[in-house]
Amino acid sequence: MAVDELQAIIQRCQILEESDFRGEDFNLFQVAGQKCLEDGYAAQLLEVIQNEKNKVIIKNMGWNLISPLVRCILAYKQEDDKQEHCLKILDQLVQLCNPKELFLGLLEQIEQTSGEQVCPTVMLLLQPLQTVLLKLQNKKAYSVGLSLAMIMNQLTPLPVPYTKQQIQEDKLGLCRCCNAVVDFAKPFVNEVVKNMEKSSEYNNMELKEELLKFCMKSLKYPLLTAQLEQLEGIEEHPFRHFATEIIDILQDIRELMPLVFLHHKGRRSYWENQEFEDIERKNSADSLACLSYLMFVQHFGINCFPMVFSPSYLLQCNMTHIEVLLNRTEESMLSKGLDLFESCLLRMEDNSLSHQYLEFRDFINVPQDLVKVMTLCPIEHLRKKSLNMLQLFIDKFDAEGKYTLFRCLLKTSNHAGVQGYIIQKIKDQIHLSLTKAHDNIWFTGHHLISLLDLVLFLPEGAETDLLQNSDRIMASLNLLRYLVIKDCESDNQTGVWTILAKIEKNFLKPLHVGLNMSKAHYEAEIKNKKENRREANKSNTVCSLTVSEEKMPAMTTEMQLQVLHSALFTFDLIESVLARVEELIEVKVKAVMAENI
Amino acid sequence: MTTDEATKPEGEVQAAALAERGEDITPAQDRGVLKIIKRPGNDDESPMIGDKVYVHYKGKLANGKKFDSSRDRNEPFVFSLGKGQVIKAWDIGVATMKKGEVCYLLCKPEYAYGAAGSAPKIPSNATLFFEATLPTFPLILQVELLDFKGEDLFEDGGIIRRIKRKGEGYSNPNEGATVEIHLEGFCGGTRFDCKDVKFVVGEGEDHDIPIGIDKALEKMQRGEHCVLYLGPRYGFGEAGKPKYGIQANAELVYEVTLKSFEKAKESWEMDTKEKLEQAAIVKEKGTMYFKEGKYLQAVIQYGKIVSWLEMEYGLSEKESKASDSFLLAAFLNLAMCYLKLREYTKAVECCDKALGLDQDNEKGLYRRGEARLLMNEFELAKCDFQKVLEVNPQNKAARSQISVCQKKTKEHNERDRRIYANMFTKFAERDAKEAASKTGVEKEAEKATCAQGLETAGAG
Repeated sequence: MAVDELQAIIQRCQILEESDFRGEDFNLFQVAGQKCLEDGYAAQLLEVIQNEKNKVIIKNMGWNLISPLVRCILAYKQEDDKQEHCLKILDQLVQLCNPKELFLGLLEQIEQTSGEQVCPTVMLLLQPLQTVLLKLQNKKAYSVGLSLAMIMNQLTPLPVPYTKQQIQEDKLGLCRCCNAVVDFAKPFVNEVVKNMEKSSEYNNMELKEELLKFCMKSLKYPLLTAQLEQLEGIEEHPFRHFATEIIDILQDIRELMPLVFLHHKGRRSYWENQEFEDIERKNSADSLACLSYLMFVQHFGINCFPMVFSPSYLLQCNMTHIEVLLNRTEESMLSKGLDLFESCLLRMEDNSLSHQYLEFRDFINVPQDLVKVMTLCPIEHLRKKSLNMLQLFIDKFDAEGKYTLFRCLLKTSNHAGVQGYIIQKIKDQIHLSLTKAHDNIWFTGHHLISLLDLVLFLPEGAETDLLQNSDRIMASLNLLRYLVIKDCESDNQTGVWTILAKIEKNFLKPLHVGLNMSKAHYEAEIKNKKENRREANKSNTVCSLTVSEEKMPAMTTEMQLQVLHSALFTFDLIESVLARVEELIEVKVKAVMAENI
Repeated sequence: MTTDEATKPEGEVQAAALAERGEDITPAQDRGVLKIIKRPGNDDESPMIGDKVYVHYKGKLANGKKFDSSRDRNEPFVFSLGKGQVIKAWDIGVATMKKGEVCYLLCKPEYAYGAAGSAPKIPSNATLFFEATLPTFPLILQVELLDFKGEDLFEDGGIIRRIKRKGEGYSNPNEGATVEIHLEGFCGGTRFDCKDVKFVVGEGEDHDIPIGIDKALEKMQRGEHCVLYLGPRYGFGEAGKPKYGIQANAELVYEVTLKSFEKAKESWEMDTKEKLEQAAIVKEKGTMYFKEGKYLQAVIQYGKIVSWLEMEYGLSEKESKASDSFLLAAFLNLAMCYLKLREYTKAVECCDKALGLDQDNEKGLYRRGEARLLMNEFELAKCDFQKVLEVNPQNKAARSQISVCQKKTKEHNERDRRIYANMFTKFAERDAKEAASKTGVEKEAEKATCAQGLETAGAG
């Protein structure tokens, strides 16, 4: 019987001095204790442990029982008497055992758990771990840091609940667990705060650094991945709560402001080696981006934020973070990046941002990142928001800034839709310059001409794929039409009349040729398809197309014909606008000639 | 802390008084920022652009509602003056203050948060402020200028900058950029240099310009006019400058105007061919500086080769050979420079990299030996010199260095013995004292076991 075996070893040890316990005693005790637990004699084991006479034995050997104990507690159902007993045993062990060994025992348990067991195990052991850590005399800061790092490392592989339903369900217990970890850390935060009021001791710095590491880690996981918008129907959003707590800790240990303004303060460095410093900076980039999001979008901790910073400076500070976030592909991070960008831009007045800011590399990179999201991201609302942000960003710049941005985006975005959009924006700016009283040198005259050079041409001459570039071509034609209608040759404010010959050579002529070729090609194709209709229906498809792992059905001849016809329709549309533009040019040129005669 | 109720009338009174008596301090004279001095400063000096400024402040809306105060945060607010970091009213207002001064500033929205406001505390002026009693003056700031100091460019106290006139834009010359500057150099109150000069950043020495100016230029903007206070390390150093009659380790003051500059290409803007061509040129330049004993400048030149070629990939066989030979030379020469500059760790690093390219390189091994010898790592140094002899048994210098190592090891051991002998007697005495209270050593032991356990737990 397990209980008898246990009694035997206990009785033998009761008469021994602490220093006389041998290795084999530890083994016997562990084996017997474990057996008691496995066979369901938790109540008896509890009695042994509670026995005053066994105090010394438990103090030395008790920690060996942690592992089987945890296993049992997690295996029993709640409300089970046996679980109740096991919990009491755990409680006793925490009171009685040597803190050093117990600490290692507890940590080992957390380290060994995985998958679904992680959160229950951590939740179970947080309280005991906290008690033990508070008792530790030496290496406390190190041990607290180790515990927090271990816990966070174990949590990190778990998926973060994202939708409202997932959050409410909290299947793996992550939401509850995170908030429990914060509670676990609180006494140590208080200790740092108390010591900071007194003096700045060296030891204290260590504990503070450990807590800082924990906060940075938490910002990266789970917060960066989490959905942090307020959700209807959830009173206490677990991750919002967690975020508030983390920010509070940072504020309490007075690290919040230094972190937010990290890059301009030339922060003290812990590493002599440049390489380590770079790694640290890279690692913290995500965390800092999340912190900025929390402060400026969710307004956590904003109360202690100085309100006297200028909006353009805040934008400048946040640009790095926005860039970090927009370079990710996960919905959670992209949407955080877009929200952060929006909140910074909304602080600014239109036309107030100097073009000189474009000398910062991130100010040029971010709009290009937006284009990437707009054209490549599979999530529709993010694509739409990116477009809105690009619009907002353009709005904030002065004329020269807008001009530079347009140039940059025309050159860098290899997407006809985006280029078409930019060309439309250029038209809007020209319109403003022509109609407003105050003159605007960037969208008239020689500056505009050099911009038009980038717009009014076909990228590959007559061989350009007109269908793929149709958005761009239509926008260009519209712009040209606007220019010849709005700007008389006698005024020539925009300079379009000066470069007319060039436009004809680089744009209108090749467009004519291209249209003729394309139309002929597509018409021939249609004819071909119609003639071979019967045959084509029989033949096997040569290749198949998969979109996001779903095989697309093969196109029927009817569908193919439809596509070909719609292409022809596009060509017709282009041709009609082209004809209109040429007609307008001819009329105006003739009118001028008539006047001159 | 006063409540909103209590400050409300006060706020309105202040706003009215300011509007009436405040001095317009805007350059445009549009009454956008009005100032009243509450307590004059005790010093006649005002902060300059770029200075690190320490202030305490309290901000209120015109209706008296406090929106922000540095006192609540228990620490002064720090910012760089005149760089657009703060609302315009502040950059203008604080620049007029003297140390110790307390003043009130009344700011129009254009000089504060504008029509957009600043969520969540400052609403947009459109929604709220037109209802306030003084709609055009929504913000009152009480500011106390605690302290200010020049900008410490490299956080080491070596170069302090104070800007007299702000430059344009945000781009700076980089290393290798061509700059046109006007400079005046002072030492101990006398002017020793005054000229207009065009040169390449990193090569100022060719024009008797100390390295600190090169470094500072990389942080300046077009049109900027500033005063630079250089410590000896960034000045003419130990050698001084006999040409100007400057002694060793003199502190220098320069007034510099950056008239224009053209940036050098960044590494990513150059193709391999260009990099290899340029590498040959800068290698020559580096060697020239080295021969003249200008090691800091030589480091810049050799460093360029490393930054261009170290990470270059996709080279043809021929290019790769050329690149490796440039890199090897650069690392070996850098090692030599660092030896001269007494930066031995860096010297060892460079030798390691050189030996990574050519593991039997005689110079690499020898220089690493030298560096290690100077770092008192005699055994390692000896190994290096022995390897030199394996590569080239004729190397007499290495042979004599080995005997130096042996001699030094011996001396060192003896010195250690003397020191430790002393220490051990002291320890013994202390132990005797502590044995009674039985703490120190035991605790150490405990710590050691705890640490051991933790490491295994972490690794297991």
